[in-house]
Amino acid sequence: MFGGVRHFTFIYEAPTSAPGSVELENWFTWRRVDNEDTDTLVFRHEIEYGVTDRFQASLYFADWVYESTADDSGTVFEDVALELIYNFTNPVLDPVGLSVYQEYKGGYRLFEWESKVILQKNIGRWILAYNATVEAVWEGEDLAETEGEIIQSLGASYEITPRFSVGLEMVHEIVLPEWNDDEDIRNFFVGPNVSYRRGHWFVTSSFLTQATDTSGEPDFQWRTIFGIGF
Amino acid sequence: MKKIFTVFAGAAVILGGCQALNNYPPPVTPNMARAGTHSAGSMEKLEHGRTLFAGRCIECHVLPAIAQYPAEKWPRIVDWMGERASLKPAEREAIVAYVLAAHAGTQTSPGK
Repeated sequence: MFGGVRHFTFIYEAPTSAPGSVELENWFTWRRVDNEDTDTLVFRHEIEYGVTDRFQASLYFADWVYESTADDSGTVFEDVALELIYNFTNPVLDPVGLSVYQEYKGGYRLFEWESKVILQKNIGRWILAYNATVEAVWEGEDLAETEGEIIQSLGASYEITPRFSVGLEMVHEIVLPEWNDDEDIRNFFVGPNVSYRRGHWFVTSSFLTQATDTSGEPDFQWRTIFGIGF
Repeated sequence: MKKIFTVFAGAAVILGGCQALNNYPPPVTPNMARAGTHSAGSMEKLEHGRTLFAGRCIECHVLPAIAQYPAEKWPRIVDWMGERASLKPAEREAIVAYVLAAHAGTQTSPGK
């Protein structure tokens, strides 16, 4: 049974999976940092389960990374994670669809905590979605290094046919190394997306470029999600 | 932060008023329950059907307008979509009952 389609790749939508549905979602994200001559490919494999009408749980059972720099390249297993989403209101029946999201991620010398508020409104063939995210990372020896991130993302998707949608995604990040804003790191990414679904599967892809000029941050991020229901 | 909240509160009010643009499924009325469609049921069943219709269909695509398809096509559409939307037989029946009752309303509404 199918859990549902993602119309965006960097933005979550308010509806949760149908109770009892199971879906395998795989994604990759290719990030390119030109001035460091670095390409990073991040892969995620996720099982999503609809627990109740309003609550879904997902297990990221493998997040792994391939990185290529001017001097070196290699693959490393990064982490596993648990993601929980609870839905409060419906984006069609209510003025705004509202869900809350919580994620716990753990790996070698890594712990991450991520919370989101997800808002969505469907108007005719349009889906409008907004996420406000706070992310906290502890890593390194004794998890002594910390970093925070405040992310806002906004997207619009237009359904051309029931199987095919196109849209736009925007992501604004405030990066806080050691929870400190002294470095004033701001990133803004924007780009188009496409989504196609058929039967029990879907594929959605977004290509975001950096509109700011932050050194060391990706010049572009290309993410594709493939989901299949069982 | 206050600015963001204000923008979203304003947007919510505007969007909440956009029911006509929204393929908004009409609320259940006593008339719908009395409409006499083949599987029309109680108000509770129709309410359940409306909630499922607006909740499950949008997991994959935007909600279609009820008048978009002729009444006789809806049972087949719901049956066809029901498996991928993980709908149980009673849930499919509730959706069909609601959609047919609402469809009858779209045909008899004043000005139609």
